[in-house]
Amino acid sequence: MSLPYYLRLLCLCFATFFVMHAGCWLVIRSLVPAVVRIAKTMRPRLSGRLLFGLRMAPVAGSLFLVIGFCVPSYVWLEPDIASERVGPACLLAAALGATVWAASLLRGLAAFLRTERYMGQCRRKSPGNAVVQDAAEVLLVNDRAAVMAVAGVLHPRLIVSQAVIDTLTPEQKEAAFRHEAAHRISRDNLKKFLFLLAPDILPFVSGLSNLERGWTKFTEWAADDHAVDGNQQRALALASALVKVAKLGVIPAPSYLLSSLVDDDRDLETRVDRLLREPAYAGKPLAPVAAFARNAALVITGVAATMLLWPGSLSGVHQLLEHLVQ
Amino acid sequence: MDGVSVEDSGNDRASAQRLHLGRLEFDVMEIVWKFGVSNVRDVVGRLERTLAYTTVMTTLDRLYKKGFLERAMTDRAFLYAARLSREEWDRRRAREMMAGFLAGPRESRHMLLSCLVDAVGSHDAMLLDELEKKIQRRREQLAEKDR
Repeated sequence: MSLPYYLRLLCLCFATFFVMHAGCWLVIRSLVPAVVRIAKTMRPRLSGRLLFGLRMAPVAGSLFLVIGFCVPSYVWLEPDIASERVGPACLLAAALGATVWAASLLRGLAAFLRTERYMGQCRRKSPGNAVVQDAAEVLLVNDRAAVMAVAGVLHPRLIVSQAVIDTLTPEQKEAAFRHEAAHRISRDNLKKFLFLLAPDILPFVSGLSNLERGWTKFTEWAADDHAVDGNQQRALALASALVKVAKLGVIPAPSYLLSSLVDDDRDLETRVDRLLREPAYAGKPLAPVAAFARNAALVITGVAATMLLWPGSLSGVHQLLEHLVQ
Repeated sequence: MDGVSVEDSGNDRASAQRLHLGRLEFDVMEIVWKFGVSNVRDVVGRLERTLAYTTVMTTLDRLYKKGFLERAMTDRAFLYAARLSREEWDRRRAREMMAGFLAGPRESRHMLLSCLVDAVGSHDAMLLDELEKKIQRRREQLAEKDR
């Protein structure tokens, strides 16, 4: 099939992404059991970062190769002729690459809209103006259900139902607010959103869900540690708050992009046991903007260094692309 | 416990029978699951009750023929190892039991589901009560330490 210049570039980008991503995905998939075992021996905050990094590694690595090498090598070295033939294997890989991206973008968009709709409903249920606690907007919802969660991706807000406020003592409320603040500071909902946007090896094949489940567990533990920060009384207050909220009845989260105080009671016993043992100190939270800037700088430096140290890298990549396109 | 059985139901009869363990068979399997590869003498020594060597040997042979164990000959004695883990056995039994209920009439399906919901609900309530007691005990311990 003959395709014009820029359509061929798009096709190559998707095909390269699909091939690289599938390779990385399979390697990471084989490492999951060992990494989860290692993560259990680390501090929860570090474990969460490790699992998050590993979950995002296939998509980040593949995007790095496509944006850093494929696109520049094609634009600089491919002659701008009217059209050229693209082989069926390349077309198939490109179609699969485009499909996995479309599926994950739709998944992310659907979750985002569901969360926005839920927050809209909460705003309507809220009797008055939102109050501000620790620089975060808190929506008090007139609801008998047990709701205490950070919702939203870009501007996360804490949503608390009247039932939870009525049930918890001031100390328990403070500990619970600190727990939710940890989720907000760590931008856990944004990370969940990135999980949704990160494509699977094939559309709707989720082989890295163990990493996501592990990450969810460790971020809850890390938020507990942040809330407690080595204070035994606060640990007891948070443990009591968890049990009291669970007793009110845990309702399934209306969206994946919510970080609830008690998500389900599968991990509740472990969390309470952790809090009753020697309470852990809060780790230093990672500022997401600084982390993003640091990673972006690393990527740019990596591309620049490769091109400087190996000037033939782009022509090498271009030759590989020529093979792929055939 | 008179044996860990799975009720037969239609097409699942054969597989359900394969998963059935008599009391002695279950005790022997528990030892192999717990201690790993064992010969007859090991199992006899680890059983809580005193049983004849030949009884245990026959039981191990029966478990081998039922597919629960695999064996290898070393030094004129068979070494037995479990072919499926305890978790896998539990999972298969649960699956067979569920399949049996779900293949039955609508009433038995509804009964199973409502029993499950009740059981999960009461388990949750008990777990939360237990956690509350734990917290209370810890609070008392700390108060005593402060005094």
